Amino acid sequence: MSGGTIWKGYIRFGDTNLPVKLHPAIREERIQFHLLHKHDRVKLRQQMICAYEKKPVPAEAQAKGFEVEEGKYIIVDPEELEQTAPESSRVIEVHEFVKTGQIDPLFLDRAYYLEPDSQSKEYNALAVALKEMEAEGICTWTMRKRSYLGALQSSGKILRLNTLRYADEVVPVKSLELEKISLTEKELKIGSDLINQWTGPFRAEKFENEHEKKLRNLIDKKARGEKVAVLRPRRLKPTAPDKLLQALEASLKKVA
Amino acid sequence: MSRKVVEVAGRRLSLSNLEKDLYPSYGFTKAHILEYYRRIAKFILPHLKDRALTLKRYPEGVEKDFFFEKRCPSYRPVWLKTADVHRHSEERMTVCLVNDLETLMWVGNLASVELHVPLAGVGSPETPDSMVFDLDPGDQANILHCARVALILRDLLLELRVASYVKTSGKKGLHVYVPLNRKETTFEDTKKFSKTVATIMQKNYPDLVTAKMAKEYRKARVFINWSQNDSSKTMICVYSLRARERPVVSFPLGWKELEGLAGQGNPEKLLVIQSEAVRRAEKQGDLFREVLVKKQKLPHL
Amino acid sequence: MKNYSESNRRHEMAVQGIWSGTISFSLVAIPVQLVKAVEPGRVSFRLLHSKDYSPLQRRMFCPEEDKMVPPDEIIRGYEIGPGKYILITDEELESVSPERSRTIEIVEFIDLKEVDSIYYDHPYYLVPSKGGEKAYRLLVEAMRRTNKAGLAKFVLGEREYLVAVKSTEGALALITLHYRDEILPDEGISPKEEGIEDEDKSRMQRNIKKMMADFNPGKYADGRRKKIVALLKKKVKEKAPVQAPEIEEEEGEGPADLIAALEESMRKVKKSR
Repeated sequence: MSGGTIWKGYIRFGDTNLPVKLHPAIREERIQFHLLHKHDRVKLRQQMICAYEKKPVPAEAQAKGFEVEEGKYIIVDPEELEQTAPESSRVIEVHEFVKTGQIDPLFLDRAYYLEPDSQSKEYNALAVALKEMEAEGICTWTMRKRSYLGALQSSGKILRLNTLRYADEVVPVKSLELEKISLTEKELKIGSDLINQWTGPFRAEKFENEHEKKLRNLIDKKARGEKVAVLRPRRLKPTAPDKLLQALEASLKKVA
Repeated sequence: MSRKVVEVAGRRLSLSNLEKDLYPSYGFTKAHILEYYRRIAKFILPHLKDRALTLKRYPEGVEKDFFFEKRCPSYRPVWLKTADVHRHSEERMTVCLVNDLETLMWVGNLASVELHVPLAGVGSPETPDSMVFDLDPGDQANILHCARVALILRDLLLELRVASYVKTSGKKGLHVYVPLNRKETTFEDTKKFSKTVATIMQKNYPDLVTAKMAKEYRKARVFINWSQNDSSKTMICVYSLRARERPVVSFPLGWKELEGLAGQGNPEKLLVIQSEAVRRAEKQGDLFREVLVKKQKLPHL
Repeated sequence: MKNYSESNRRHEMAVQGIWSGTISFSLVAIPVQLVKAVEPGRVSFRLLHSKDYSPLQRRMFCPEEDKMVPPDEIIRGYEIGPGKYILITDEELESVSPERSRTIEIVEFIDLKEVDSIYYDHPYYLVPSKGGEKAYRLLVEAMRRTNKAGLAKFVLGEREYLVAVKSTEGALALITLHYRDEILPDEGISPKEEGIEDEDKSRMQRNIKKMMADFNPGKYADGRRKKIVALLKKKVKEKAPVQAPEIEEEEGEGPADLIAALEESMRKVKKSR
């Protein structure tokens, strides 16, 4: 069963005005560790400590400052910050539609399911229309005092909203300043052949988080008081540039 | 925006707005700044090496706004050396390491006129390589008062069999460095030691020295700022330019030279301008070299 | 991953980027580093003490002893019962999957079109380390030509990730994927009524067609961030910033030995002047 409703709003474009409920689509469960005081194993808490008084400071005595110069701050009151909050609204405004697959996955943030909040005929129509046209809507909305950018997607039956990162949050490839290195057609051909030979369908269910099981085993072992062997991580020897073609050819033989 | 692509040590660097006048009262452009750092590189680089750089950037020139940048900008080139540091248990931060000429040029191109570094390297952030006495004159005192204090400090430390080295701050003060270069000495030690020294100095020269931070104590006195001996603090790097009207440099002086200058009574003579800095460094070598290598133990701790 | 023990912290600092290791496919191994692909663009504030404007630091605090705990006194524990913990060191953590903690091994290639976008979690870039530039470029180009992406698993910190490695504008992007069981089922979301009106559908398709465009994320900026920057600019003009007190240690004498030695030296210095 999906998570509960976290927000309600309307999808709006053209003359469409569709009430929906937002549900989380992802649930992450991770092994949770605590930080302990070594000598008595007391669980530690994070606290905000005043650098001057070296004492914990309660939330009501905390202020937000923007550092303009070392040690100098502009204090911003909560009310002032409140004013910069986007106006609350229930509208998921679709600005345009793009072809599915156009959005680089680097921009995709988090997925939510949309449930129809009243009659579902229009909802069904939109889900089918988007699927048939292989399109998704680029939209903006305000939720919990934050503005979001997102993609309205359809699985054919169900509408989803995937939040998108703002353009200035994604580090441009240009800034990596990668070297341009020329390759021979032969190297490229063998590399591409190797990839094609090695391509299979994507089956998410094939992959389990084995590591987590092993980690739980380790914890169990330690809980039983058994000794745990410490293993060193494996490191591979990099392929030398002048051995690249050779390694590719050998790889191709291995696959074939 | 004008751009120029140059090659430094095999790395391509795109430099922007080279003609921008960053010291407008003096007519010193970004190209001049890069040229200064290029010529002083072999002297300044050992002092920047493996230290978390704090950029102090003046995009509109030294007479306009500046900002500090401790984090290494995310648009840095991929070859640029960085380190991840934790300040106390705060979040992790990626900092720039200026270990080579190309990085120095890149940093200069960001209009980071001043280069500030901590007293400890990134590999051992709690272990200072040197202890510093930051001599800061009050409103009615000047660099000559600092020189007097520095010379007394030198003698006092010599009595304790500890050698010290002095440089101009490039502004109004002097910085006295005591090389340590031992991994056993912590900031806690250097803080305790320098504070005790400052307190004794104040007690013996109450009209000349104060060990107190508050402005009202400073006035005609020299404030011995011992609190710079802290892992969270940075000092202006020796040979760095300062953002003043003129391109003055934080420059090392010989003790004899300081004695002479203190006797002449002209504070201006304690300011070393960039062209003179290059000339003198080329001639005399790095007077601050010992700060990086000399091993000394603080007595009585 | 947060590392709290001192020795590890030092070790980590020598390493560039978030992670360094090798990416491999078949017999080719490329030394790489993992770097951030997302940089939160928001204006960052510091928390201050409203009394004296001194900055606040996040510290681990022991409620029992009512004091701050330095990093070398902190250890990671897994709770197996109320107040009962199993302690796990960094070395033990790394040895859970030693074959994956320094190697991203591509186990197969896939067509990214087959990956439902619901799986995408967090992106990074891989950049080549010294000597790996050529093989890196080959992998980038060959994946671009074939329009394929590599699937791999690797361990970062306390967790193992399923990742897709793809070619993006001449670089390798690594995107962590959710595991199948992290995706909530969509039962109960689907509409109760099945039917659809053809008229609704064609009206929507007409509208969608009218509004088709190319994806250009640069068009949309976070309006709030702009407002905050404007507010800060205004405040800087109107009012001088407040200043945090300089951190001064509590008054107190230094070690007696040192004071005595200094007093003694001071007498000599004064005499000679």
